Amino acid sequence: MAVETAQKQSFSERHHFLLRRLHSLSGIVPVGVFLIMHLTINASINVSPEMFEENVGKIHALGPLLVPVEIVGIFLPILFHALFGFQIWFSGQPNTTAYAYNGNIRYTLQRVTGGIAFIFILYHLWHMHWLGNPLGGGHFDPHPGQAAITTAQAMQMSVWRIPVNILYAIGVLAAVYHFANGIWTSLITWGITVGPSSQRVSGVACIMFGIALSIVGLSSIRAFATMDVSEPGSSTHVDRVDSSETIHTQAG
Amino acid sequence: MSKKINVTVKRQDEQNSGSRWEKFSLDYESGMNVTTLLQRIAANPVTVDAGESTPVAYDACCLEEVCGACSMIINGRVRQACSALVDNLLQDRPDQITLEPMTKFPVVRDLLVDRSFMFNGLKKVRAWVPVDGYFDRGPGPKMSPHQQEDQYPLTECMTCGCCVEACPQINDRSSFIGPHAISQAILFNEHPVGQFEEGERMKAITGVGGIGDCGNAQNCVKVCPKNIPLTRSIAKAGKMATKFVFRNFFGT
Repeated sequence: MAVETAQKQSFSERHHFLLRRLHSLSGIVPVGVFLIMHLTINASINVSPEMFEENVGKIHALGPLLVPVEIVGIFLPILFHALFGFQIWFSGQPNTTAYAYNGNIRYTLQRVTGGIAFIFILYHLWHMHWLGNPLGGGHFDPHPGQAAITTAQAMQMSVWRIPVNILYAIGVLAAVYHFANGIWTSLITWGITVGPSSQRVSGVACIMFGIALSIVGLSSIRAFATMDVSEPGSSTHVDRVDSSETIHTQAG
Repeated sequence: MSKKINVTVKRQDEQNSGSRWEKFSLDYESGMNVTTLLQRIAANPVTVDAGESTPVAYDACCLEEVCGACSMIINGRVRQACSALVDNLLQDRPDQITLEPMTKFPVVRDLLVDRSFMFNGLKKVRAWVPVDGYFDRGPGPKMSPHQQEDQYPLTECMTCGCCVEACPQINDRSSFIGPHAISQAILFNEHPVGQFEEGERMKAITGVGGIGDCGNAQNCVKVCPKNIPLTRSIAKAGKMATKFVFRNFFGT
């Protein structure tokens, strides 16, 4: 009977363990590492718009390599992590009402924040990335002199200003929670923190890391939301769309 | 002696029939446990509102929390009827005691469930020491007192089902074998004779339903009546699985 079931196993069943470990790993490298980079680079707006644009310029110095790096290093890992994560979510049956332990609440939150972060990422891609251009989004223009101001403008768009900023704050907090708690559970998954005392210490470390990264992330939202967008030489909407299309053709 | 206890029991006649609630009013005595309540109901099965009923079916054996047979959901939390003291329960909730069968196992009748799932999990990880045969093999290998102390808590598992009941990863959509099976696999993997079968156990641990399906909610360790360090076993299994898969792949 064991042989019979072994033959009937699907790809995901045969590689069950490997896929779960790949899911764990992909959350840290590259997705988690990217999250740290993304939030800290954005936070450089707190130093100055020039500093922010210099950092953006460093990323876009990749030129034609940027799109493949984005696809292989960011989009595909996030997509794999998210889709497999949804499968994990739906294979569970949260029971925090009956068993309201901290660990259990943490478990349920990990799933909920993962879902929120994924939906936010889709929105964020539409809102800022040139991929959103055909759908009336894609407001971020990476060109020097444009990067900071277009981001600030996107965060301050007319009637949507407050909901957009709240959405960004929720998205960043969800992603950071998911990452910080994910580090904590991955240390268990990979057998690094085995006993309860090491798990307590790593728990404190992950909470502090999460708080620090949250402050970093929220600080850039605040900076862009309050930045003066009426500076002389700032771009108009028409300029912005034109220049982001240039980027699109350059990249393609 | 005039004090009454309200006991509400979730009843079900057969495995596939519907369930109903029955209310009983019993005389209070000091020092009762939930098994006593069920014995009192059996002696006089008269409900508060519907009159004559039948004795409530339940499983019980040792009556001292070492066999695990009388696990049920008492006031919303899984535990043993024999060690659930009425005085403590009334302190938490003075007006009522609610008894339900465990939800992760098929109900045979009333509070009696079929715990085959627990034993199937043990079979999957070969949670035993293979010493078949009639001849004298001489004294077994020595274990250090330190190792004995580490292993003794794991031997206390009575396959009661509490960890499985509280685990959000065990349900119809998941094939997780359960924290108890992971812990027993670790116990026998670390046993001087049991370790000969480590490879077989690790195949199950790294397969479908194995360690990859743990969601780190850590409810198991919270509800375990024997305080077995289940999460330590789970993290150890993660560590062993990492090593096992690498060893297999690189052939070292």
